Amino acid sequence: MEYKVEAHRIMSISLGKIYNSRVQRGGIKLHKNLLVSLVLRSARQVYLSDYYAGVCLNAQHIEAKEWELMDADREKLIPASERHVGAEDGRASRLQEKDGDSLDPSDVAVTSPVSPAISETQCGSSDCETDADAAVTEGDSRQPPKDHACSHRKRSAEETGVSETPVKRTKVTPNAIVANNEIEEGEEMDTSNVSNLITIFGSGFSGLLSKDSAKSESETDDSDSGSGQICCEQMLKNLNPWTTAIVAF
Amino acid sequence: AMAGVGGGNDFQWCFSQVKGAIDEDVAEADIISTVEFNYSGELLATGDKGGRVVIFQREQESKNRPLSRGEYNVYSTFQSHEPEFDYLKSLEIEEKINKIRWLPQQNAAHFLLSTNDKTIKLWKISERDKRAEGYNLKDEDGRLRDPFRITTLRVPVLMPMDLMVEASPRRIFANAHTYHINSISVNSDHETYLSADDLRINLWHLEITDRSFNIVDIKPANMEELTEVITAAECHPHQCNVFVYSSSKGTIRLCDMRAAALCDRHSKFFEEPEDPSSRSFFSEIISSISDVKFSHSGRYMMTRDYLSVKVWDLNMENRPVETYQVHEYLRSKLCSLYENDCIFDKFECCWNGSDSAIMTGSYNNFFRMFDRNTRRDITLEASRENSKPRAMLKPRKVCTGGKRKKDEISVDSLDFNKKILHTAWHPKENVIAVAATNNLYIFQDKIN
Repeated sequence: MEYKVEAHRIMSISLGKIYNSRVQRGGIKLHKNLLVSLVLRSARQVYLSDYYAGVCLNAQHIEAKEWELMDADREKLIPASERHVGAEDGRASRLQEKDGDSLDPSDVAVTSPVSPAISETQCGSSDCETDADAAVTEGDSRQPPKDHACSHRKRSAEETGVSETPVKRTKVTPNAIVANNEIEEGEEMDTSNVSNLITIFGSGFSGLLSKDSAKSESETDDSDSGSGQICCEQMLKNLNPWTTAIVAF
Repeated sequence: AMAGVGGGNDFQWCFSQVKGAIDEDVAEADIISTVEFNYSGELLATGDKGGRVVIFQREQESKNRPLSRGEYNVYSTFQSHEPEFDYLKSLEIEEKINKIRWLPQQNAAHFLLSTNDKTIKLWKISERDKRAEGYNLKDEDGRLRDPFRITTLRVPVLMPMDLMVEASPRRIFANAHTYHINSISVNSDHETYLSADDLRINLWHLEITDRSFNIVDIKPANMEELTEVITAAECHPHQCNVFVYSSSKGTIRLCDMRAAALCDRHSKFFEEPEDPSSRSFFSEIISSISDVKFSHSGRYMMTRDYLSVKVWDLNMENRPVETYQVHEYLRSKLCSLYENDCIFDKFECCWNGSDSAIMTGSYNNFFRMFDRNTRRDITLEASRENSKPRAMLKPRKVCTGGKRKKDEISVDSLDFNKKILHTAWHPKENVIAVAATNNLYIFQDKIN
């Protein structure tokens, strides 16, 4: 349970960093953004795997299982390496076939203040098989408890920035040919995928993060009354390109 | 017992000098971003975030004052890079000096390369201590004399004048890097040098500015497939065809320029298998290599990642021969360090002249030295509190758990804003330069 909260928190911190990097002096730093995107992906894997582990089984069973896993694999975590992409892609495609009943916006934890509001009583029975498998594969992926000290720390400005500021549509830098550039290719730093990522999360994550769906509705183009749910779906549907978009700065 | 690191058993590090403002309020432009001794150690250059270069020169040791052993004083200061704004790309280019590298001295003048994110410049630093006087056609303030007044002919004479040190840009190597330059390295042939950004490495000739050879290109055709970037690169100290570059994945590739024009395929690949039990969200970040340095001998190389320094034998690719923990107590704090961005700090490392010791920085203005022979290590602090002339530096210790002893500092008390990222070791003597934010500390050994 705590792992979910922690993963979610790390995700929002990471998004904040990516967002802020666009306005940093000196331009987008490719190295830092690549590293942040890797953390984001790891946290997302933990978050989603934890989540579906919760959805599949009833609350008691979940907690027992989680504690068991915690004890057994205290030091182990999700490897964020590529080999798990296949597993999660498979899971993603299976999820797309469902009716999107798996994520209820009211169940999603809000970033500030951190409150583990995720309900674990929901259970789409059709999800159980596939997601139990996923839970098992991800079962050795728990953050060490000692990192939990972090969740009690004061929120950084970046985090609150993500959850409070309305998500702006990002400006795509025009790929203009630089006249003064003496090199032949006139190349520009390829950051178009930064816009893609921010766009996806701009519409998707604000629905997840904000309790005020009305507020996020007015800010994002793709949301409607079921903003959280639909945005989550959108995020999940975009898992494939999104996975790659993360690293594509 | 700890004091013997760096060259001998009687060894003891002492404060020598500190340069920079004392003021608590640090101007961002004054933050030192690179430190480098020249080949003889006579000159010490620093670059800062404001694009300035300050060069210190060591005073000749005087028999009259044997205790003031070779102090470094300001020799030259100049503005190397200015902030630029690329209006077409809507991109601001920082003036911060990322690296300075000296060229070997060939005549009376000194040459160095300095680089920001996009442009490398070759600077000539020369002395002028004579001036011609007694011109026929102009008088002493330079004004032209009335030709009808000139009745005699004389030969101008060189007269001594106050020493003036001039810095002039001799070459500007621009527009060759789309991404941010992180390294420059002068080749042992003294004619070429390489520059590396996140995705590419270029080879230049020092005389030619309008073109360079691209020798490494790891940019994928589809940027969505990008998984790692180049973090540092260096030429081999003796073999002018060999260079290495490190990656954000913790690997090092050694390349031979004789093998192919484009060195995308490495000759050697150095990687240590990861310990699966220590995996966390931040494993990738902390394995990213922030600096790579060949030993003076050319037989070894050293890499710095977030928590450790590793020494590699060039003949063994599958693991380092030595690993030194710099601040392992931070491993449990990675989440907080990620939040406050400290986990992205790029620490550098350096060898001493004989390759028997290595040094790197940490937080709280601590820096660490490791003696490779005795396996002893020491933690010292760069602090104004301990800045009496020739004051001996006391070893510091971080308390990692349990009861804190007197003089120990607990992990939670460390000041993460006081970080030592840049250090340099004199090529021949036990003199070190340590950059602590906007101050430059110089320490020397006590032996004399």
